[in-house]
Amino acid sequence: MYQALLTRRYLFSKIMPLLAAVAVALCCAMVLIVWSVMGGFLAMLIGSGRTLTGDVAVTWPTAGFAYYDELIERLEADPMIEAAAPMIETFGVIALPSGRTETVIVRGVEGATYARVTDFERTLYWVPMERPMPKDREGEDWRLRSHEAWDMHREHGLALAEPGDDGVPRPAVVPGIAVAEANIRRAWGGFVPGAAVVTGPDGSTRFLDRAFFNDEVTLYVAPQDDQGRVRDMVARVFPVANEFQSGLYEIDRRVVLAELGAIQAMLGMNEGRRLREPSVFDPFAIEEDPETGAEAIRPPAEFVRDPARVTTVLIRGVGDGRDPRPLAQRVREIYRGFAADHAGMVPPEGEGLGTILIQTWEDQNRTLIEAVKKETALVLILFSIISFTAVFLVLAIFWAMVSEKTRDIGILRSIGASRAGVAWLWLRYGAAIGLIGTLLGMGIAFAVILNINEIHDLIGAVGALFGMNTVIWDPSVYYFARIPTEIVPWKVAVVFTGGLLSSVVGALIPAIRAAWMHPVRALGFE
Amino acid sequence: MSILRVEHLSKTYRLRREPVPVLRDLALSVERGEWLAVLGSSGSGKSTLLHLLGGLDRPDKTNDHGMPPIIEFEQRRLDGLSQAALDRYRSRDVGFVFQFYHLVPELTVLENVLLGPMIRRGRFAYAAHRKEARDRASGLLEAVGLSHRLGHRPAELSGGERQRVAIARALINEPKLLLADEPTGNLDRATGQKILDAVAGLRAQHELTMVMVTHDPVLASRADRVVTLEAGRLREPEPAA
Repeated sequence: MYQALLTRRYLFSKIMPLLAAVAVALCCAMVLIVWSVMGGFLAMLIGSGRTLTGDVAVTWPTAGFAYYDELIERLEADPMIEAAAPMIETFGVIALPSGRTETVIVRGVEGATYARVTDFERTLYWVPMERPMPKDREGEDWRLRSHEAWDMHREHGLALAEPGDDGVPRPAVVPGIAVAEANIRRAWGGFVPGAAVVTGPDGSTRFLDRAFFNDEVTLYVAPQDDQGRVRDMVARVFPVANEFQSGLYEIDRRVVLAELGAIQAMLGMNEGRRLREPSVFDPFAIEEDPETGAEAIRPPAEFVRDPARVTTVLIRGVGDGRDPRPLAQRVREIYRGFAADHAGMVPPEGEGLGTILIQTWEDQNRTLIEAVKKETALVLILFSIISFTAVFLVLAIFWAMVSEKTRDIGILRSIGASRAGVAWLWLRYGAAIGLIGTLLGMGIAFAVILNINEIHDLIGAVGALFGMNTVIWDPSVYYFARIPTEIVPWKVAVVFTGGLLSSVVGALIPAIRAAWMHPVRALGFE
Repeated sequence: MSILRVEHLSKTYRLRREPVPVLRDLALSVERGEWLAVLGSSGSGKSTLLHLLGGLDRPDKTNDHGMPPIIEFEQRRLDGLSQAALDRYRSRDVGFVFQFYHLVPELTVLENVLLGPMIRRGRFAYAAHRKEARDRASGLLEAVGLSHRLGHRPAELSGGERQRVAIARALINEPKLLLADEPTGNLDRATGQKILDAVAGLRAQHELTMVMVTHDPVLASRADRVVTLEAGRLREPEPAA
């Protein structure tokens, strides 16, 4: 009981213990902020992958595989699977209205099915907005006005098609918002169409009187023949129906979505008929030459249906926040049955070379994700070691406090306080310092985490005033345009407990010292 | 009947490995309800004797003749008690009053007095008897004339007032034995007399046995009996002729 009274009184009678609390606070805040940012980065990395690729992908690159519509039908019949969509992914070159060309990743998709498997619709940028973005105080955002026009762009973007001059829908593209670099990023975080002036190769300039999303691009892809050899590039002009923003800079910079049928046609992966030698040789199949009448054994060629192919089928599982690994296992089982029914015509299921790839987003980016996880763990260990200095700081301060309160210890012992009681007084005091410091640290951490992007912008603005480039989080380097964070309750609990424990551990040796003080010497202490 | 009995009591300190004997083969008996004054000059071992009687320190294991010490309180041997048992003894049976008051500066007058019951009873028992403890503390402080200073800190009190708080603290747990170490040593004579008056009044009221150490013969003369400590040994005064 007396420990509680003295702890309360000691807490605010001296400034030194409060400095210990500040040290604990700063260490807790530092660890929690770092853990939050790195955890947020990892979570956003994993989440963003799903934004445009769903939960699981069945992939046979380049050549693609056939009968995908049947596979999709089988997949969607399973209760674990919400939707599946076909996709072709290939490399290409895009020629932009500015005259620049860029290498891109072309993804041919069916807009409607793709939107069921991914967050495609949510990523479309040029859509009507009812309310401005939080920092767009001037209402600069074009999307706040002319909602009918933006509705039209949204419909075209979803369909990946735009009506031509004759009213017939033409296949269109939806590039990432950073592909053309035709938009200007504003301080409020959004884009406005820009780059109105372009410079030609002869140095002349001309004015682009159309926004990129109202313009056209030329897309080049490289089809392959039956032997896997790359043929000449095939080019096609596409209108730009819209642009997408996934939040993942590398995706927004490199990916162009196009209408599936058009890409299949360009790559020669659409359904067609071709001449094929019969698979079984019949030696008694005598053919008579119609001109000469001569008989010869010549196996007749036959026209066969060459089914359409895609390189990938994307799958979305039922429910949100789910672990995709059970889903991947189920997809593997379904594909096994599909491959058995189309043996020799589709890649087999199995492990190793020559078998279909069935992967989650994490599988596809395992190297990057594991690297981020290891970096997170390493940084946390290092920061925790640094935070250990708080233990020694508390120890030093409490050692000094015990010296200062030596006479008090003698008084308590003289009126019957036990050694354990005196030790508990100092441990309790350490815990109180730890509690104050940890709570303060949590407050600082939350304040920073919840406003980290604003703080980052402020640092950049202040640096710019002095002519310095203090942009710490460059979207082109760090994948995301905004600093990601996450607040996870168990992580908060771990940091809270660690902060509290570090203070108690720091107070332990001084507490033992206080408990073992000779009461007579303590009373006589000057 | 003696409440306190001491025999073969010795205490030696070590200063830079050199033994410094302070008490030598001391024997003492104090009757229940008696006020004993121990007179001695500075450095004679008066405080050491009090610390040993109060269980704040332990005597030498044997005296010069190899005899183990005996410290008996109400027929209970204190010399072999564990530390925890000595803590309980100080909490329940003994009250200390020191020369330099030894009040906790961060606590108020009332809280300083309440430290005793808090330590003695523990958290839950104290909480159950909180009002009773506060009433008793207030009563003691009123008895020493400090009822108007309950919320003040020691720094806001005079020397005499602080000593009166210390006296109230020493008596809060209704001890049987009061050990006073130069209780007026830091006060002027007039204040010191008032303090002793307060102590004497409370002693009578609570039927206390008191051992007071002092270097002042005038103060010592107020006690029932005076013994002198010289060169580590007790000497009873010569009876008057």
